[in-house]
Amino acid sequence: MTELVDVARAIADRATGNEQVEAFVTHSRDFEVKAYQGQAETVSSAEPRGAGVRVLDGNKIGFAFTTALSEEGLTAVVAQARANVSFANEDDALAFSDAAAFEEVTGLMDKAQAAVALEEKVAFAVALEKATRGSDPRIRTVEEAAYSDTDTEIAIATSAGLVGGYRRTDAWCYSVAIATDGDDTQVGFEFALERGLAALDVDLVARRSAERALGVLGAAKIPSARMPVVFEPYTAGQFLGVMGGVLTAEAVQKGRSLFAGKLGEEIAAPGATLVDDGRAEGAPGAAPWDAEGTPTQRTNVIESGRLVSYLYDIPSARREHRSSTGNAARAGFKSAPGPSPSNMAFAGTGHSRTEVLAQAGRALVVQDFHGVHSGANPISGDFSVGVTGHLLEGGVVGRPVKEVTIAAPMLEILRGIVAIADDRRWLPFGGSYGGATTLVAEMTVAGL
Amino acid sequence: MVAKTLAEALAGGGDFAEIFVEDKVSSALKLEGSKVEDVASGRDAGAGIRIIAGERSTYAYTNLLTEEGLAEAARAARAGLDRGDALIPAELMRVESGRVDRVGRRPEEVDPAEKVDALRAADDAARSAGTEVRQVVTSYMDVRQKILVASSDGRWAEDDRTRVRFAVQVIAARADQIMTGFEAPGHSGGFELLEEKPAAQLGASAAQKAIRLLDARSSPAGEFPVVLAPGTGGVLIHEACGHGLEADTLVKEASVYANRHGERLGKDIVTIVDDGSDPGAWGSFGVDDEGTPSQRTVLFDQGVLVGHMSDLRSAKKIGHPPTGNGRRQSYAHLPIVRMTNTYLLPGPDDRDSIIRSVDRGVYAATFSGGEVNPATGNFVFGMSEAYMIEGGELTYPIRGANLIGNGPQVLGVIDAVGSDFDRKEGVCGKDGQHAPVTNGMATVLLRKMTVGGTEAS
Repeated sequence: MTELVDVARAIADRATGNEQVEAFVTHSRDFEVKAYQGQAETVSSAEPRGAGVRVLDGNKIGFAFTTALSEEGLTAVVAQARANVSFANEDDALAFSDAAAFEEVTGLMDKAQAAVALEEKVAFAVALEKATRGSDPRIRTVEEAAYSDTDTEIAIATSAGLVGGYRRTDAWCYSVAIATDGDDTQVGFEFALERGLAALDVDLVARRSAERALGVLGAAKIPSARMPVVFEPYTAGQFLGVMGGVLTAEAVQKGRSLFAGKLGEEIAAPGATLVDDGRAEGAPGAAPWDAEGTPTQRTNVIESGRLVSYLYDIPSARREHRSSTGNAARAGFKSAPGPSPSNMAFAGTGHSRTEVLAQAGRALVVQDFHGVHSGANPISGDFSVGVTGHLLEGGVVGRPVKEVTIAAPMLEILRGIVAIADDRRWLPFGGSYGGATTLVAEMTVAGL
Repeated sequence: MVAKTLAEALAGGGDFAEIFVEDKVSSALKLEGSKVEDVASGRDAGAGIRIIAGERSTYAYTNLLTEEGLAEAARAARAGLDRGDALIPAELMRVESGRVDRVGRRPEEVDPAEKVDALRAADDAARSAGTEVRQVVTSYMDVRQKILVASSDGRWAEDDRTRVRFAVQVIAARADQIMTGFEAPGHSGGFELLEEKPAAQLGASAAQKAIRLLDARSSPAGEFPVVLAPGTGGVLIHEACGHGLEADTLVKEASVYANRHGERLGKDIVTIVDDGSDPGAWGSFGVDDEGTPSQRTVLFDQGVLVGHMSDLRSAKKIGHPPTGNGRRQSYAHLPIVRMTNTYLLPGPDDRDSIIRSVDRGVYAATFSGGEVNPATGNFVFGMSEAYMIEGGELTYPIRGANLIGNGPQVLGVIDAVGSDFDRKEGVCGKDGQHAPVTNGMATVLLRKMTVGGTEAS
């Protein structure tokens, strides 16, 4: 660990004259195994490491990255970033973090994970595939069953003296079950994400992926209608994922957000409170500091239906003469930071899932979305996606439904939130979003 | 060094070893708020080593392209393989490419200032298209990717690919309405893309789309006849047929098209090909990322299912020669079966008469992408620009909505295919990997599709 921080410091120390230098260095050990029909099908491993360097000179930033962490490599990457300053755009809002210290976030590591043998990981994936396939005679095949993990060290340093480093482990698995009954075929996906292999539950993931496929066998279209909709935790989290990016101040400042000009307004139902928490224990995006080296924090975005704050990185915050909310993120050392939600989720409204379903009475329960990236536009607010799910009748989940779409303007969906259950889970897809069983008063279902 | 690495990879046994070496130089520019926002240029080089032993593939990659770096990756790739006798790789023989690249103006020789000028031209044209224009984001990207694939069965193949893409996104607003317009042409070739498709024209076109859509009314919900515009409508073929005919899903019987070879699913007017050798097309290459020459593969011949797309592994399982569809995002990725340029070939019908034949329906002018589950065949694709058809005429624009359907079934409702064939470029995501692909088709009439609007009638 100290080693990586030393690399970051060695880069930052190469600053000359009035320039400031920031180094973001990562080293990870990645592993993945996919099983098929009782055997490991693919086994991949990699150990990527590298540094992303930003040079701030006056009001311009140059960025460059390298995978060569030798003395010569570090000198070369700083020189390249310095050279890129001349191509950059002037922006008075640019600055590096001046944080003095970071408070640790607990629960980022499973210390036992490093000792888990390759064959144990292979056996896990094989067992997951077998358990999924064996859970019901109608599970014809398992398209994919996979286990993967990563052990990452991250360090940051600036020439102004900021230094930080932390390490995290992640282990995750998923299974894709295919169920067949006569001519009908359905697919069920389930995953789990923990800090280490030991905490992953093979049987639970296998059973749920099978259940999700089996549960929608025999699904049919239903007639088009306006009706209440219940999002399962999985789809509720995906909906939030569509919205999250345009809640950043940068999206608003650049006129590409449906939330522009709505600060202080009632944009959601009175019971809806949306929180972004960079320190949320056990959440996929938890970290002591963000990709610019700003300490992470908890930020209320929507409070009792009212939009109270956007999410800020350093430049977007300086444009409004305020502080960053610790919402800078990077895709890795090869990219410069940009604003993003950290761990974003609606707070529950004090109901259990059963209570939410009972309250819904008759509704369409949405298990899976299809075509979110093509059917949701977070700038115009149009939202129209394909769904697979069930009809809820008298609060009881009934016959399966497929090949229908649900649609409504996104702000209308937020205003229509009736209840959010206490069954939140984190989704690590394209960010970190929490989803819970959510009842929305009315959407348009298009079917027959 | 390549032969030595292959021998090292097979030192612990295995049936097959392959090395994929990539050297990629790219430049990207973005103009937002009329300012150059992002200048990223870079070089990424590395190698991936794959070993196949029985049913198991193992993979490791490195960005250290030295003898020691490659040997270390080879050892990492063979970790965990069952012990066996070392396999001696065959002598390497060069594979002839399926195509020769035509690059007019090499992008790396074009002054960055000229690239910025093109962005500004698109930006200016978009901003002067109307007072409703609020934001314009233009971007330019070029990439030159050189690859080498060598394997223990004696294959040695090289390719040199240059791609250029230019994109314009316009946001227009009036009162509480915000709409977006988008243009993003690309090709395999050089900077001459912008001579064929002038930047100012692209900017104006994207802006006009966004402004037109400010008058959009809510989209209807339910089943309607749908007319797909040429080019962009090809995403239907990509989702409804393409993914389900990628042989990795066929061999796992995770495709709705498994075991349906020879079946008639559409009318005579439905002929669909995947063609990675189409000169200059965005999804083309000389050899695929496993060293198989690109080719034209017929998937549907006059309505009958006749073909599929494969990589080395799935081809072996099916017992057919590989079709040159093994692609990977980079050296850090295992090759998987991917489409290249997928086309519904033009038919006999006339665009205007197709529209005139519809009494009440939807004209889908631009699509924002789509998604399919190959196992069930259920797909969706999103309209970002659409119009109502009433009494055989386009009447008013409607807001974005998804179309939903089922692959084999939708082929059966293709009632007319126009002669006005066109291509549209896109990026397809599968298993977390991105690949450049082209969709192509002429004006097409679908007798009945579910439109996911907000107006339930």
